[in-house]
Amino acid sequence: MIPLLLSLKVAGFATIVATVAGVSIAWVAAKREFWGKEVLDAVLTLPVVLPPTVLGYYLLVLLGRRGPIGSWLESQFGINLIFTWQGAVIAASIVAFPLVYKSARSAFEGVSRQLEDASRVLGKSELQVFALVTFPLALRGILAGSMLAFARALGEFGATLMVAGSLPGKTQTLSIAVYEAVQAGHDQIANFLVIVTSIVCIVVLLASNYFLRPKYRVI
Amino acid sequence: MRVDVDVQQLFQSGGHDFDLNIRFSCDEDITVLFGQSGAGKSLLLKIIAGLQNVRSGKVVINDRVLFDSEKGIEIASRYRNVGYLFQDYALFPHMTVAENIGFSRRSIFSRRLKGADLDRVQELLDIFQIKDFSKKYPSEISGGQRQRVGVARALLQRPEILLLDEPFSALDPLLRIQMRAELKKIQSLFGIPILLITHDPQDVAELGQRLILIKQGLVTDSVDLCGAPYRDPLGAPVRPEIRKILWSAAGITDV
Repeated sequence: MIPLLLSLKVAGFATIVATVAGVSIAWVAAKREFWGKEVLDAVLTLPVVLPPTVLGYYLLVLLGRRGPIGSWLESQFGINLIFTWQGAVIAASIVAFPLVYKSARSAFEGVSRQLEDASRVLGKSELQVFALVTFPLALRGILAGSMLAFARALGEFGATLMVAGSLPGKTQTLSIAVYEAVQAGHDQIANFLVIVTSIVCIVVLLASNYFLRPKYRVI
Repeated sequence: MRVDVDVQQLFQSGGHDFDLNIRFSCDEDITVLFGQSGAGKSLLLKIIAGLQNVRSGKVVINDRVLFDSEKGIEIASRYRNVGYLFQDYALFPHMTVAENIGFSRRSIFSRRLKGADLDRVQELLDIFQIKDFSKKYPSEISGGQRQRVGVARALLQRPEILLLDEPFSALDPLLRIQMRAELKKIQSLFGIPILLITHDPQDVAELGQRLILIKQGLVTDSVDLCGAPYRDPLGAPVRPEIRKILWSAAGITDV
């Protein structure tokens, strides 16, 4: 059960990170005009296209002891992310990020400019327009993206293995544990882990369908 | 009440230039801006409401300067206190009728209104006869009811002026007649001046006290419609010069 709990922890944190980052950047991309927007969009979408191992390698180079970010973190705060569950969270966040970003961006773009203008004329500030109109109307799309991100983070294998390794009880997540169990010929453990994973995924999908059911109709 | 508008802006989109150069004044209760689609009428309302930037000019309502490019004054939309009815009403689909009407008084943290604000919403629900639908969502009510909600929502904060963007175009002809009569009643009840844009001559005949004609981004005529009988039994404007103006605006030259 430890790999499952670890996976849920890593995927949970990764979903939060990916959602917060994805929603904020998606809002800027959807509602503001700036130079190089579509180039930025392409770069932000890369993690879903690149093989996870390539992504993991990039992270290893950046976050490793001799990498630019890794050495700075080490010297300033004494933090090392490689082979830790926090490192796994970073890997999973980046892999899951485009899923939130893409769906949030199209959800924001789907909120009509006219509704936002109507609330401006009715005396609302930009923050109020976002909180009362744009965000609630985009919420279903954002949640759908978050659910996908959670599922993706839960199944993350390649990038996580590169960055966090496979330390039992520490960084060995469910999908990695399944792989290790099969490699070692522990079929019973593999069966058990596979069934548990499947059940968790079905529950997540049912829950998301329940939360995403429409409560009102857009005219 | 007095409206003074004098704005200039060149709009460019996809190799297509549109030069807007509009200047007019009016002080009637209901002023109708008339012109064909694409004449710049909606753009003008957006400029008055501060939803569209312009390069140069002036917008003054009741001696309050909302925009003056020379003095560098540009008041943000939310402080202009104008009521705006969009063509398809722009009701918030995720809020009930009552929540839509109370929107301008609502804070981020609480869905519910208090005290005087709540009374005011109830009063508007009564006046517009939409109390029975107050808990319904916009998608669950009819077109005429939606329009009432849109007007009620705009009136909640007692705006200086009501801007209506083709308010009747989404309604069927019978309902149009009824809603025009209602709008007149509402206008005299609240005493808030109305600036209405339309390409329907019937709106001019039924409602207008001043007619302002817009053609390709320019004001070509401003006619006082008060004090003279201007409708024949079929509802067509009877004063020949007005009929001529409306017909020519509609593209008919042979009068």
